[in-house]
Amino acid sequence: MQPTRRELFSWVAASGITLGLSRLSPAAALPFEATQTLPGRANAGLIGRARIDGIAKVTGAKLYASDFRAADMEGWPATTAHALLVRARDASHVYEGLNLDALPAQAQPTKVVGAADIAASALRTPPFYAGDLFCPIGQTPLYLGQPVALLLFEGFDAYDRARIAFREDKALVRFGAETGPRTGPNYAALRFTRIAGPTPEAPDIYSPLQEGWISPGFTEGGGRPIWKPLPTAQGGDYAKGATYGEEIRALLAADNPDLLVLDRAFNTQSVDPMFLEPEAGLGWYEEAAGALHLVLGVQSPFEAAEALDYMLAQAPATLRPTRLDLDFASLGGGFGGRDHTPFPLYAGLAALFLPGKPIRLAQDRFQQFQGGVKRHAFQMRSQIGVDRATGRIAAFAADHVLDGGGLANYSPSVAVVGATAAAGIYDIPKVDVTTVAEHTRGVPAGSMRGYGTLQTMTAIETLIDEAATTLKIDPIDLRRRNLLTAGGRTMTGNPWTVSVRTPEILDKLEAHPIWRDRAAKKAAAPAGVRVGTGVACCTKDYGTGADCSLGRVEIGPDGRVTLQADAVEMGNGIGTATARRVAAILGQSADAVTVARIDMYDALGLVTSGDPYAMTQAEQDAAAKNPRWVPAISSATSASIGAHVSTQAPAQAARIIFRFGLWPAALDLWGIKAGDPREFLWEEAFWQDGFLIMSGLPPLAQTAIAARSHAMKGITGAMAHAFSRWAWAQAAFPLGGLDWAADIDALAVRQGDGPFEVIDRSFVFFPPTDYNRIGTAFTSSCGTAVRVEISVPGGEIRIAQAYSVFECGEILVPELVEGQAQGGFAMGVGYALLETLPPFEDGPGNGQWNLGDYVVARASDLPLRHLQIEVLPPVSPKEPPKGMAEVVMIPVVPALLNAIYDATGHRFQSLPVTPAMLRKVIA
Amino acid sequence: MTALSLTINGTPHGPIEVRDDLSMNDFLREVLGMTGTKFGCGAAQCLSCVVIVDDPAGTSTTQPTCVAPAVSFNGKSIRTVEGHAKAGQLTALQRAFVAHYAFQCGYCTAGFLNEAQVLLERLEAAPIARAGLEQAILEALDGHLCRCSGYVRYHEAVRDVVLAEPSRYLL
Repeated sequence: MQPTRRELFSWVAASGITLGLSRLSPAAALPFEATQTLPGRANAGLIGRARIDGIAKVTGAKLYASDFRAADMEGWPATTAHALLVRARDASHVYEGLNLDALPAQAQPTKVVGAADIAASALRTPPFYAGDLFCPIGQTPLYLGQPVALLLFEGFDAYDRARIAFREDKALVRFGAETGPRTGPNYAALRFTRIAGPTPEAPDIYSPLQEGWISPGFTEGGGRPIWKPLPTAQGGDYAKGATYGEEIRALLAADNPDLLVLDRAFNTQSVDPMFLEPEAGLGWYEEAAGALHLVLGVQSPFEAAEALDYMLAQAPATLRPTRLDLDFASLGGGFGGRDHTPFPLYAGLAALFLPGKPIRLAQDRFQQFQGGVKRHAFQMRSQIGVDRATGRIAAFAADHVLDGGGLANYSPSVAVVGATAAAGIYDIPKVDVTTVAEHTRGVPAGSMRGYGTLQTMTAIETLIDEAATTLKIDPIDLRRRNLLTAGGRTMTGNPWTVSVRTPEILDKLEAHPIWRDRAAKKAAAPAGVRVGTGVACCTKDYGTGADCSLGRVEIGPDGRVTLQADAVEMGNGIGTATARRVAAILGQSADAVTVARIDMYDALGLVTSGDPYAMTQAEQDAAAKNPRWVPAISSATSASIGAHVSTQAPAQAARIIFRFGLWPAALDLWGIKAGDPREFLWEEAFWQDGFLIMSGLPPLAQTAIAARSHAMKGITGAMAHAFSRWAWAQAAFPLGGLDWAADIDALAVRQGDGPFEVIDRSFVFFPPTDYNRIGTAFTSSCGTAVRVEISVPGGEIRIAQAYSVFECGEILVPELVEGQAQGGFAMGVGYALLETLPPFEDGPGNGQWNLGDYVVARASDLPLRHLQIEVLPPVSPKEPPKGMAEVVMIPVVPALLNAIYDATGHRFQSLPVTPAMLRKVIA
Repeated sequence: MTALSLTINGTPHGPIEVRDDLSMNDFLREVLGMTGTKFGCGAAQCLSCVVIVDDPAGTSTTQPTCVAPAVSFNGKSIRTVEGHAKAGQLTALQRAFVAHYAFQCGYCTAGFLNEAQVLLERLEAAPIARAGLEQAILEALDGHLCRCSGYVRYHEAVRDVVLAEPSRYLL
């Protein structure tokens, strides 16, 4: 069952370059048996209940991209060269080149690659990373941390010396005349306005869902959008929405004694994802074969392949491989920061410019701080109007300004997600939110856990708390009065389409001893300690609106199950979760599980075209006539899609194997003939300890059923593709004389030990393209209660007790779910109290940041033994899994701020809240 | 350059000529290809890179490798993550880490494993009262950064290994 190290799936991209993507299997340091990602018979006690990668991770197996060297790669030359990416620590002066003469002789590179080489080779920057790959000599860098050159070394020692020299000696990168920072247009400027109808049932008067998303189109001299509608003929759609938005602003500005209006400014900081494995890649340009081989660790393998292909498509023959072979390794953490990172482009360039020699590009921590994508810093002004008599929120308005740094990356998307989450868990009839993501000279910001909602929900949840205090209403009661419940419309005008559990979560928070006993704990505070309690409740979307899943499942005649999925393992345990979901269907834990495989689905013959987020309905309808067409083929592992999306295709494939392979075999073993009413009761059968149980019939061993299924040439393997745009694509396939309908859009099956054969769909329904106007449809919720103790006068804060309660539909692996919540709590604490990166020259772009200055939560910062995690059971046995990896960190932050207010009487609206800040308010 | 000789997981290595300023982490990862020992920060802040150093007196400590020159390990005997399991059998600590889902991405695991192993050996040599166990675990592991897990399950795993054999580790 040992998978081969590199099995390549190939296709020819539009450029003519053949692309091959594969999953790099671990190279074990020890002779563990079976697949090295599984426990193996020697550790039988762990089978079925351990992470599938658990053994590899506790034995030091080579798992991560940073672990591999040329000598580890089959068929590669044995020696590894090394590359150093030199970045600018100045973005206000003209870059004049490197001062290599000042570099010691023992640290001289073999080759230097810069902007001129890129231009001379017609290498293109993929549109997503628009901006020069390297700052050209004679120009001011676009942003702090922009690469200026790639230095290639044939030996490690020279590389190592140069790496340290470039960090310690600023003069090695020469800058000239001061120009000031370069400016650039905003990455996005959007306005989301909704005016509800007079009753909950009535249509909205105005909503983004009805009218589309709007952008002002005009900017002030300083670059900020002009949000007020202008008296021009242009931009009628914007003017219509903005006019409604300004009405909401006027309502909040009016002198109305019946309305409590809070108008507050919030500042949230930039932080680093701080995944523990700095980005690394290994490449080899095998000129003779025209192949560029790369080992990478990213959350978005498909995107990395496409970006590399785009970069190389017009290069001259000497620099243009005919084949790209990409191997993807496990990630030492991701948290969004490895989703659409430009790092693979530089790893590819290193290999191309040192042909014939394997070369490694690996960032140290200083370089990772300097070059890795960051969380967006937000400036927010938020206004909320609450009816004093009823406690109902009448209106909410907010203005968000995001620091996107020097490259667009995911800034437009983060701005949208943050804005459309700004109303939190509440049903507010009048909402107006503007958002602009600005270009600055900062290190580029992109995807990170929470994705804009962490910032904007911190604002709304502290505002609600302040409103409750001012109105003398219990904070949980005030939340309850304003909850958006099932069927209600969000601020984009659509309802959530999944279960809404916030009422239960509020009940849980209210009943918890942390909240119930808050007054007594405060009264009992010892001398020199201020005690405070806070709660918050948030919701977070999962999915991006165009999410895919690929899965392939097979069962052998001996009952052994193998499965492959395209999701990437970044610590979230996606392979384990997929295995559990499949095991429940096939009655057997998988014997081989491989994730990050995009190379096993050629039988599906998938094709795609267009942008699934932007295509018109007519374009989709036309494309869907091709039975091989899907809106997108493979997604990044991001946006909390693991359980909900990534497990979908393997689970659906397994259901087909059960229904059309194992079930007919079981009927045969039971002697049930065609026409017997029990023939179609397959959903009533269930697995128990390796046996299929059916009332009134003898249990059947899974191995016996599998053997009979193979003998009968039943379906023993299935591969499927699934697509979600806030609803699953659905299709029907002719199977076993039936039209089998399922939440997948492509299918191939294998009968007995025969080859996979594609099944043409007889019907397909892709979610309408109008769904792209939806803000949030899939959402899951979490509430947190915390009690803090703040020392006087020192200001040190201790989290004495904490409780997080959340929901995630079907709980595939309870240990993983709970672990994500524990980790999310820690990351929330870091964001609220510890972590910060200043902007610009004092920030990470200067190349001097490391963990001595950047403080991440350690165990002693957390209430390890006093952190209670509770997961609500699914609303029904058939509720599908919901994404939860992000929402679990969000309420931690406002709950802490609310607790700090309770302890000190001061509301902090700037993060992180440090002991120095606390000392000032408790003195 | 210095000719470096040392013992790793019971196997002698060297003499190997290394630069005097080559870090021990780079010696393990680049020279020997032993990448089970991770590189996280290069500043001895995350401790994902620690190895166990066994001194001749029979006691052991952990030491970061990212800031220590390889030559400072000349003549020493160390253990790395690759050396814990024997003949395909995990140690109790390794099994506990796996069974508890102690880690997620696993990049910090080698460091936690080495630190916790040293703690177990220290407790075995000098047992403590049950009441002090949690604090002892916290003090032993607190220098180690984990970005994924929130630490809870690492601590529970170590505690359970101790409590599984109380007469071995506790007073």
